[in-house]
Amino acid sequence: MLRAERISKSYRASGGHVVAVDGASLQLERGQRLGLVGPSGSGKSTLAQVMAMLLAPDDGSLTVDGDRIDVWGVHCRCELRHRVQLVFQSPRMAVDPRLRVGEAILEPLVASRLLAARDAECAVLLHDWATRVGLTYDLLERFPHEVSEGQLQRACLARALIVAPRYLICDELSSMLDVSTQAALLEAIAAIQAEQELGVLLITHDRVLADTWCGEVADIRELAARSGEGEADATQRHASARAAALSALVRGRQRRAMPP
Amino acid sequence: MSAAGAALRLRGGLTQRLVETARRWPTYMRVAAGVLALLVVAGLLANVVAPLDDTAVDLDHVLEGPTAAHPMGTDEVGRDLLTRVLHGVRISLVIAVLASLAAVAVGALVGVLAGTLGGRADAVLMRMTDVFASQNHFLFGVLLLVLFRPVLGGTGAIMLAIGFTHWPSLARIVRGELLSVRERPFVLAAIGGGASRHRLARRHYLPHLLPAVGLAFVLTVPHAVFHESAYSFLGLGLEPHQASLGNILADGQRSLLAGGWWIALFPGLALLAIAMTIGTIAEYWREHLHPRWRSELEL
Amino acid sequence: MSALLEVDALSVGFRTRRGIVRALSEASVAIEPGELLLVVGESGSGKTVLAHTLLSLLPRNVDVAGSVRLGGTELLGLAPAALRELRARRMALIPQSPASSLNPVRTLGGQLIEGARARGLSEEQARRRLRALLGELGLDFDFIGGRYIHQLSGGMQQRIVNAMALVGEPDVVIADEPTSGLDSELVETTAAQLQEISARGASLLVITHDLRLAQRLAGWIALLYASRIVELGPTAAFFEAPAHPYGRELLRALPEREGKSIPGMAPELTALPGHCAFADRCPDRFDRCTEALPDLYPAPDGVLARCFVHAAR
Repeated sequence: MLRAERISKSYRASGGHVVAVDGASLQLERGQRLGLVGPSGSGKSTLAQVMAMLLAPDDGSLTVDGDRIDVWGVHCRCELRHRVQLVFQSPRMAVDPRLRVGEAILEPLVASRLLAARDAECAVLLHDWATRVGLTYDLLERFPHEVSEGQLQRACLARALIVAPRYLICDELSSMLDVSTQAALLEAIAAIQAEQELGVLLITHDRVLADTWCGEVADIRELAARSGEGEADATQRHASARAAALSALVRGRQRRAMPP
Repeated sequence: MSAAGAALRLRGGLTQRLVETARRWPTYMRVAAGVLALLVVAGLLANVVAPLDDTAVDLDHVLEGPTAAHPMGTDEVGRDLLTRVLHGVRISLVIAVLASLAAVAVGALVGVLAGTLGGRADAVLMRMTDVFASQNHFLFGVLLLVLFRPVLGGTGAIMLAIGFTHWPSLARIVRGELLSVRERPFVLAAIGGGASRHRLARRHYLPHLLPAVGLAFVLTVPHAVFHESAYSFLGLGLEPHQASLGNILADGQRSLLAGGWWIALFPGLALLAIAMTIGTIAEYWREHLHPRWRSELEL
Repeated sequence: MSALLEVDALSVGFRTRRGIVRALSEASVAIEPGELLLVVGESGSGKTVLAHTLLSLLPRNVDVAGSVRLGGTELLGLAPAALRELRARRMALIPQSPASSLNPVRTLGGQLIEGARARGLSEEQARRRLRALLGELGLDFDFIGGRYIHQLSGGMQQRIVNAMALVGEPDVVIADEPTSGLDSELVETTAAQLQEISARGASLLVITHDLRLAQRLAGWIALLYASRIVELGPTAAFFEAPAHPYGRELLRALPEREGKSIPGMAPELTALPGHCAFADRCPDRFDRCTEALPDLYPAPDGVLARCFVHAAR
């Protein structure tokens, strides 16, 4: 079980901290399909990154099948990191523009030294995963900017699944994609799930999708131990904080530049 | 196609890629690259190509205009100017390249340190960079030359003076690029995939930084050529007998009064050609640095 | 009488390293004043290219053929200055993200007035018209004017950019993926506002991949697949019974319907087949589909569909 308990995370902004996640608890079983919905800016992505061990929370605990996570990101053991994989919202941003699509899919195996790039096994694995996510073989030799957004997201899914994770977190997997590609990605995930007892957390703002595809649906606003911090508009807390910081900075400069 | 038998061709050969790139060059780029290649080869082969000893004094042929024997004429002590210009190109280019390398090394080091250490170390390094950047770099270079010329000799002092005054902008670029690439989701994805710090640096950060560093290097070279010439012209650089372009120009200035226009003209043209060709190539490179990242379909 | 905006046999190709990318092939649509046209398709189907061609935002490595007429004036090949003028006075773009399309460090009043002046209004006119427009959208100009964009809620931000688009009283308003990245509440607000814009008499062209938004907005729909319009007709008819197999399969992929994907992928735009581009994925394929390129044939309910099934009619 992937268990996040009372996770809190805030970001520094001008005039204090912006609370992104405030004491959220969430559990994901193996083989489960859990939907997570909520307005944009409500901390879904932050929670996802914490649960994938990419971001250290300020407070709270995360355990993966009984192993408590104490170190995060690059310092965390590969074997632990591979148990939970995250697929990002925008595939264009999530793939290094300098790697070919095939290289990008194999990267996790090579990076964690499970395979060397010239192993014959790589070609077999690559072919296998490309087929599973519906990519044709010639696309693997292209650079990310030479394939479509949908094809790139399929590659991202293959990259996440190639390390045989136990849990998969999809952060707005398909909000930039057409419904057929969305359905194809979900079908691919469902097929793997049937094989490997994969736990899937589907983060989306599409309530209909969450209700139809997931066994259970959680709303991030109901996960928090306490309610949000008051007046800031929940739909755009984060974006606003950044803009406000910028604005304050510029106004400060203007004031300083003016003669007394 | 059998899966195991299919050899995946993930990387094109470097030569092939270079040829492909060159084929797309517009005419002005080909001209610039050609002229630069010619200058570099002529400079490198100066000892072979140039017919005469560059320091050979010939008092019978003093201040002669261009003739068949001396295509660029001779100077006030009768040295063949073509020979001296070729040597000058070599000396100036070598000094400029080494000095630019030094500048790039210092800048990259400061930028990477500031970007990776963060916090207070970052603040201290960047304020230090600001202090350096706010100085007049030419005068600062003169100061360094005066201080270090007795210790390091002319060549070493010039490299130090140029290298130590041209790094701040690169340090800022490197730090900024590093901070921005670290925030990109593909770096998070790589961490999730199990990449170590070392691999992140080698596989994701470095390839992202290298084009910027390379470009900064190329942009610094013509600058360094000018600086070397200027310092030598002022008599602060190389020994007067050494045939750097700046020294020849300094000779030329004296000879102008005696009517010897060619002594200033030819080294001046060589200097201009070096600066313009490298500058053109660098500008083209800068413009074409990013299109690989730009999507061609999602317009 | 000719239509307000007439796109006739518009083809757009990009010259790239991998050959010519045929982003749009012989697209023809016409919009009358006050009409709403939805351009729907997956990424890479040519819908954004259509919008960018109308706004003359295409890059340099492009070949354009066909014709685009706005109120009888041919836009393709028009001198840049004349084009800018025409674009400023008669067309408006509603950007994808309101928050990032406005300057975060300037107050909104100045930006709104500046935007209106760029459309040829005097300062006085701009002020008067903005006050009226924002009033109609339920906002107070004096309140908005002294604020920064981040101080407003998502719904208000959307209204501000809508007001900015409408201030020059454009004939055509183009909305490019107006709901991408928005959560369901904001999608609802945005849809309502787009309908309002349409109701005010402007012609509205909405580019989207969001089928639910399309159904909500109604009007007319042009469905694009692999650079061609494959179905053109009333939106209601499309959602009732799509005439083209691609439309039908696409609707089946909606999670609330069957959530079933269409097997295979769209063909490469660099190597479009000489026959029906959907044939390889089409469950109803017959011999002719892989032999010739279908035209747009009339189907029931006033729909045009690029499928040989309707060729007999």
